Amino acid sequence: MDHQEQLEPEGDVVTRLGDAWVTIVWNDPVNLMNYVTHVFQSYFGFTRHEAEARMQEVHVNGKSVVSSGGREKMEVDVQAMHGYGLWATMQRSGQ
Amino acid sequence: MMGFIERDGMAVAELDDDERAVVARIAADVGLLLGGEAFGMHAEPERPERDEADEIFAHLMGLEESLAEPDDPAILRLLPNAAPTDREVSDEFRRLTESDLRDIKVARLHVMWAQLSEDGPYWTVGADEAMATAAALTDIRLVLATRLSLNTDEDADRLHTEIELAEHALDTDADDELMVDPERVWLGMLYQALTWLQESLVAFVMTFEERNRDE
Repeated sequence: MDHQEQLEPEGDVVTRLGDAWVTIVWNDPVNLMNYVTHVFQSYFGFTRHEAEARMQEVHVNGKSVVSSGGREKMEVDVQAMHGYGLWATMQRSGQ
Repeated sequence: MMGFIERDGMAVAELDDDERAVVARIAADVGLLLGGEAFGMHAEPERPERDEADEIFAHLMGLEESLAEPDDPAILRLLPNAAPTDREVSDEFRRLTESDLRDIKVARLHVMWAQLSEDGPYWTVGADEAMATAAALTDIRLVLATRLSLNTDEDADRLHTEIELAEHALDTDADDELMVDPERVWLGMLYQALTWLQESLVAFVMTFEERNRDE
């Protein structure tokens, strides 16, 4: 999941960064705090503490970046979030 | 109505006949909205014979439909655009995932509907299907929230006060002055009841899993 560690020095960095996407979960008035925490915990493998921190970030700041990686991986993550009814989008990293 | 509590390793809520009928009905309605078959027909409906051209045509129709952004805001909330500012990414995502997402949502609503169709006052959810049922409850609440125009946290907070005022107005026959919309009050109360049921179901899941992790 941590794509930073996979970055090779030199030339590869540019292409890899060009392929870097993020999944963002947005705040909505419907999803419950305990539900979002549990989805983050079970799907992303976050600890309870980490999942609660991301959930709070969504709730207070309106959004949280929950994963990053290649476009196909982000499509899988966004699909999973939509499956749970969370409002998730994907975009190129740094946009 | 009583929210979910743990009983013999399962989540059990208590609903009277009317409440069960309403919750089962809304699950079936959202299933239909997502393009599922009508719940309650246990046998697979007979498929009429089709020739090959019809099959291909039907397939193409499905493809076109799945590429277009849904018109109904409730469906758009269940199946949102993956990249609101990038049409190409959103369309590609929809083409790849929409049909699977619709299927999984309809299947979960159907399981929930079946749980509610058991006889007796209990709504029993096995630990292994509790998160799927919580997800089905989310989908139903998303549809209700769209119909109730709950777009912000403040809207959701206001709903509670609005319903209390409306109930009081209906009780005292002051509803004409306050312009209470009985359908909105009814949907709002259903939304709140489902919120409460979902919250108790997720609390069950978290306690259950935490205990199993510790053991």
